Amino acid sequence: MNNSVKIAVFLALSYVAVPLALGSNTYVIGLIVAALTIAGIAVAWALLGNLGGMVSFGHAAFFGVGAYVSALLTLRGGWPVFPAMLMAGVGAAIASVATMPALRLRGPYFALAILAYAEIFRILATELKPVTGGAAGLLSIPRLPNVLGLDFGSKLGGYFVILTIVVAAMAAYHLIRRSAYGLALKAMHDSEDATRVVGVNSIVLKAWMLMVSAFITGMVGAFNAHYINFLEPDYAFAGQWTMLAIVSAIFGGYRTVSGPLAGALVVYLVDQLAFKPILPQGHQIVLGVLLGAMILFNPGGMMSMLTAKFLRKEASHAA
Amino acid sequence: MSKSTLCVSAVALSLMLGLAPADAAELKIGAEIPLSGNLARVGSAMNEGIQVAAEMFNKKNGKHTVKVLVVDDESSPAKAVGAVEKLAADGVIAYTGGYGSNIIGPASEAAEKLGKVYITSGGVASELTKRGLKTFFRINSSEGYARALMGMFSEVGIKSVAVVYSTKEATEEVAKMLQTGLGAKGVKVTMHAFDPATNDFKPIVHKIKLQDRPEAIAMIGYENDYVGILRAAKVLKPDIKTIAGVWSLATSKMAAEFPDLMENVSGTSTLSYPAVFTTPEAKEFAETYQKMFNKAPDYLGIFGYVQSKLLFDAVARAADAGTIDKGGVASELRKTKTESVIGKVSFDEAGDNPEFTHRMGQHQAGKVELVWPLEAATGKMKYPALPW
Repeated sequence: MNNSVKIAVFLALSYVAVPLALGSNTYVIGLIVAALTIAGIAVAWALLGNLGGMVSFGHAAFFGVGAYVSALLTLRGGWPVFPAMLMAGVGAAIASVATMPALRLRGPYFALAILAYAEIFRILATELKPVTGGAAGLLSIPRLPNVLGLDFGSKLGGYFVILTIVVAAMAAYHLIRRSAYGLALKAMHDSEDATRVVGVNSIVLKAWMLMVSAFITGMVGAFNAHYINFLEPDYAFAGQWTMLAIVSAIFGGYRTVSGPLAGALVVYLVDQLAFKPILPQGHQIVLGVLLGAMILFNPGGMMSMLTAKFLRKEASHAA
Repeated sequence: MSKSTLCVSAVALSLMLGLAPADAAELKIGAEIPLSGNLARVGSAMNEGIQVAAEMFNKKNGKHTVKVLVVDDESSPAKAVGAVEKLAADGVIAYTGGYGSNIIGPASEAAEKLGKVYITSGGVASELTKRGLKTFFRINSSEGYARALMGMFSEVGIKSVAVVYSTKEATEEVAKMLQTGLGAKGVKVTMHAFDPATNDFKPIVHKIKLQDRPEAIAMIGYENDYVGILRAAKVLKPDIKTIAGVWSLATSKMAAEFPDLMENVSGTSTLSYPAVFTTPEAKEFAETYQKMFNKAPDYLGIFGYVQSKLLFDAVARAADAGTIDKGGVASELRKTKTESVIGKVSFDEAGDNPEFTHRMGQHQAGKVELVWPLEAATGKMKYPALPW
């Protein structure tokens, strides 16, 4: 099956088959929306990790900034929701500029520096009480709107919005990877010094990747704020947004475009639909074990495992 | 028995079974509640009260029975919304439960979108009842907590208080009420806000000890905050006469889990522990609770019981009137005007209970004695008295 057929099947399944099959089950659609929210951050995280070569522990910073920008623009500024969500992405990208001094750091030092930024943004959101409402947070954030008879504030409407954000993020990831910038970034992975010698400005490239990643995460944060209509610093900047995204990306395979999405869907849906009913408390432990097993036995993640199996099967058919 | 008799009997039986549901029905109620995460302790206690309410309703009502479906919200706002939606998919008529204003907020908005009633006692932020929701109800409010704490301080003649409060909405609201209320009575009040993520309270307690030198410390936070403040105070030993707080403090769980920290600490409570019950309903509640959970109830269980009982009664009345799908549950709840185990309950247009007033309990030798108001007291307040 070639790539364009695969993409067409994926789009048909997600935009037509899933709504037709599950549209009436608001609970399952709600779970899929939650999984796609994590998938959005996971794609952004994987883009930064795979293309930029930077492991971030602080994507919650961009998620929170995006959520607050959009919530405040709509609540206090009277902006329509969709333009406010776009501005949320821009706001998160601008916030990422503040984290750019950390680009000089590598490996765990960069990861920890970004984690510190997430904490700084959380404290700022708590302390800027006249603007953000402080620790009390913001209630009754405007829901997603009704456009041309399509109610995006409904469960199914929310599904289409977050699905579109995730698909767009995956497309951006794919296009960047295929471009000359992607080649330069790949070369940077092998040897950053050698790449710089041949004239590639690695700091600028990394900065762009950070901004793109922050933009996507900010959009996802904004979506979440309008979807659950609530925000507080502890929730908006919670470490869970980063941790779940990392777990999903690694589980699915962060070096593939579809891995973070597949990982998020499996990790979240299996946990909520299969493990939680069996183990109402402590169900997360099963996921922990599965993730450990995946890292130990197949570090490339679920998608690389499935692709390898598929290729083996095709090779045996060809033989 | 002949074949024809058997046939007639079978038809009669099937007709009876077929007719029965028109009158009596199993009413599904959802409980969205934290059973894991940082609110698990209080959530479990409230859930026990909910289960007791269901047991007592099913035993008494005769016509209807309720089935409570419980989903753990994992102390997370997003999971609480998911829990509300899951319960709706399972066919519940209304919701009871919730703890923490930040979780109740989005969960009750999700319930409103579904057109289902949400009743709670776990969130007292005034913002919750200012949202104009038609399906939100609660049996308590922040004023009741502040009134009780101020009443106890006035009773023992406290002249200066250091208020240590979390910057969350509900806690900050109660702290500001204390500042205004105590200040109006000529009490010197110093305020110490802390971030909800704080877990080292020694700097604040140190400042109180050396700078404020109050007669009392008032803690307005949640369980982990109380434990942190009390641990810091036990180390630094400020020269105070009493230390008190609000919700989730004067409970049997805190007494059992932190016996070294709780002695002589006061908190809001509707009940002593082990509880002394006087009314027939309260006695029956205590007996059922003891039977189901092999222990005496505490006030969180009582709140869970009262909110659920009121909801079950309203749902049953709406079922009788055939108005469940027409907003009947909310209308029936609004008609509620009753004397409950926690005192008078009625609901205003916003869903608040304006009649709510709390009491104060003090940890004394592993028990919780009600010490304020005097007419409800089960023991004498130990004053001055501290956990160290």
